[in-house]
Amino acid sequence: MTPEPDLRDALLAAVPSLRAFAISLSGHVDRADDLVQDTLLRALSNLHRFEPGTNLNAWLFTILRNLFHSEYRKRRREVEDPDGSYAGRLKALPEQGSHLDLEDFRTALATLPPDQREALLLVGASGFSYEEAASICGCAVGTIKSRVNRARSRLAASLDVGDAEDLGPDRMTRAALQSSV
Amino acid sequence: MTGEKGNKLARVIPDSDLNGTLAADPKLDSTSQKRIGDQLRAMYDELMQQPVPDRFKNLLDQLEKKDRETSHDSGA
Repeated sequence: MTPEPDLRDALLAAVPSLRAFAISLSGHVDRADDLVQDTLLRALSNLHRFEPGTNLNAWLFTILRNLFHSEYRKRRREVEDPDGSYAGRLKALPEQGSHLDLEDFRTALATLPPDQREALLLVGASGFSYEEAASICGCAVGTIKSRVNRARSRLAASLDVGDAEDLGPDRMTRAALQSSV
Repeated sequence: MTGEKGNKLARVIPDSDLNGTLAADPKLDSTSQKRIGDQLRAMYDELMQQPVPDRFKNLLDQLEKKDRETSHDSGA
């Protein structure tokens, strides 16, 4: 299918939000960029299935999300990905300027179950309505609402309860690193 | 009692809920919700502001060019 100039611009304009979503979802910049590229290619080869006048971004996010999940399932069979590695990768992202509390936030986000993280990112950061997020994820609106609520509560709990066992070592390491600077 | 931990950010829900064993959805107070939302958007904004890697511009330009060539060929 033909990418018309308008469409090319629209796709290019969607890239930053697709990347932000993919990076937050996968915790890995390289993998996220591959996901975005695959999303664009798939979108272009399926343009006939896009209904003009509907939300292009929502359509692109749906493609990206489905690619992510099929790849995730595949990878999971190959290598068991321990929960902590996502946090480690996210922290290695090239954003040196960020504040420490954002780093805490990233760590907390990384500990969320993937379906909750995804729902929160779509509704809380990407600007989709609950209805759009539900259609992107292929689930009921109530399910999205519930996941977003759970995600928020969990984040609040892990950002707040500093002496929780699973956050303890990280905080101590960071404190040690900071005091040694 | 979960309210006794000196939480400054949020009223924490019971641990059992974190494990998904309770059916009811936890509700956060609006201050905590706002703080979580602000941090989420701050993190996201950082990502959004990163420059678009050239590979994406190149990809779309290539496709456009290829398309123009093929439509030109077929028209000749």
